[in-house]
Amino acid sequence: MSERRFAGLVLLPGAAWLVLLFVVPLGITLAISFGVTDELGNALYAWNPENYERILDPLFAPILLRSVGYAAATVLLCMLIGYPIAYYIARFGGRYKYLLVALVVLPFLVNYLIRIYAWTAILSDEGLVNGILADAGMTDDAVRFLNTPWAVVGGLVYGYLAFMILPIYAALDRMDPTTIEAGKDLYGTRWQTFRHVTWPATFQGVLAGSVLVFLPTVGDFVSAQLLGGPDTYMVGNLIQQQFFDANNYPFGAALTTVLMAFLLIFMAFYLRSAGRAAREARV
Amino acid sequence: MARYRIGRLRGDKRPPTPVPRAAGEGGEAAARDSRPRPGPSGRVDRVSRPRDFDRPRFLRLVVAVFLVWTFAPIAIVILFSFNAGRSLQNFDGFSTQWYSEFFANPQLRESLYASLGIAVATMIVATILGTMLAYGLVRARNRLSPVTNVIMLVPLVVPEIVAGVTALLLFTQVGMELSVTTIILAHITFSISFVTVIVRGRLSALNREVEEAALDLGATRTQTLRLIVLPELWPAIVAAALIIFALSFDDFVLSFFTTGETPQPLPVRIYSSIRFGVTPTINAIGTLMLVVSVTAIAIALALPRVLGRRGGGVLIGRDAA
Repeated sequence: MSERRFAGLVLLPGAAWLVLLFVVPLGITLAISFGVTDELGNALYAWNPENYERILDPLFAPILLRSVGYAAATVLLCMLIGYPIAYYIARFGGRYKYLLVALVVLPFLVNYLIRIYAWTAILSDEGLVNGILADAGMTDDAVRFLNTPWAVVGGLVYGYLAFMILPIYAALDRMDPTTIEAGKDLYGTRWQTFRHVTWPATFQGVLAGSVLVFLPTVGDFVSAQLLGGPDTYMVGNLIQQQFFDANNYPFGAALTTVLMAFLLIFMAFYLRSAGRAAREARV
Repeated sequence: MARYRIGRLRGDKRPPTPVPRAAGEGGEAAARDSRPRPGPSGRVDRVSRPRDFDRPRFLRLVVAVFLVWTFAPIAIVILFSFNAGRSLQNFDGFSTQWYSEFFANPQLRESLYASLGIAVATMIVATILGTMLAYGLVRARNRLSPVTNVIMLVPLVVPEIVAGVTALLLFTQVGMELSVTTIILAHITFSISFVTVIVRGRLSALNREVEEAALDLGATRTQTLRLIVLPELWPAIVAAALIIFALSFDDFVLSFFTTGETPQPLPVRIYSSIRFGVTPTINAIGTLMLVVSVTAIAIALALPRVLGRRGGGVLIGRDAA
């Protein structure tokens, strides 16, 4: 048997599994997103584009916009917090470099749910911060931290910051530090050197980090569920409600399809930009 | 401060010679003026690492604040899991009562076993399928492999909620009752690609000639696979398996969408109890889960070194003989 034939056979079970349990379900989701529900709440296949029209309903559209807004805010905050940290580790980490990278990764071994839960324990009315504030006599009533957009975005930043730090760190680590010195030798100020040397050299890392943070945050529902409330719900909460409370599978499937399509377009733009950058780097 | 320095040597990666810092501005200037001495390599040992002027102190502060912010919540969960009281504000003394409460609760114990069982089953099946897929993708260069490659990569970027919805819809449409089995099926589906990516990295680095030599010497395809390829891949496979175990054990979203009534995996159980309010038992469960995943990942990181060294030794020994 030729090697290709043999390898083709070896590939088969895994490929078949992914087709049957990943590709086919995507098709089912798309099909159900055009479906209707009967009186018992069972999803039936039909031609019903209203599920998609409903997304634009003033009841739901703000939630979608809010999700994108929160995810964008999360990306921006991760960038602002993550860049200096990555910069410090890559350029000044010295012999503690790998220890610092390990410390960035370590919290991700702790369940995301538990890490978000930790913040509810810290920020709730009976939580640690309010306890300290009350003991210090600074507040009479508990300060409300939870159920605010700040808490939800804060939870998302806390949850996904490492996805931003690592690619930026990798980009900074790859870049030649002497180019920074050259920039300074050529009378560049600290800011000019960053703007014209460091930033362009690490831009692809920032972009990769932004995608890695944006993809999971825009569909997240745990942070909004535990740290927020109905006013801060994101599309993930809306989807989850359709399947567990409202029992409207077709509408939930339509929301999922829109989310997936949006992210695919987003990915396509990113891959094109990254591909172009890679080609330019080769030339 | 002098910002423009001309004629410095580049590319010297060695750490700078220690320079007395305490004297501040004057001391630094004096240190700069001192003549460069030849380093251990005989070359002139100049400082190529940036000096303090482009090492803003605030960066160090940012990193310190970041580390505290990252680890404080986790530390608080661990600390309060040993709290004698119910309070989340005051530590009333050391006690392991929340752990005993956890193990005394039959429902929670059942959840723990369910989580462990799901993780083990997922680990075994996903590792086998993912490794085979990696081998196939690297070695079978036919018309279908680019398509298969894309199908393999997409699950890695699909948001968890999309994964959960598609899995739930599949199971309801084919009329499967939601249970531990459906969770395992869903977990395997979204774990295969991780294994494939990890194993493929190692596989592409392998020396093809050793395999060809084995075939020339009369070994069959399966013998070559078993005796030549697998021993080389072993460290990567074990690492991938343990990472899958940790991911599956920790997974919440996918389990949440595909779980039946009982037994529910631990993260799903935690989620529903958090919604009813914060209880100290959750701190104990969180700490236990942390221990399980940290152990799995630590072994995953350590094993390839141990196995890799031995595997390499075996191969070299055989070559030498």
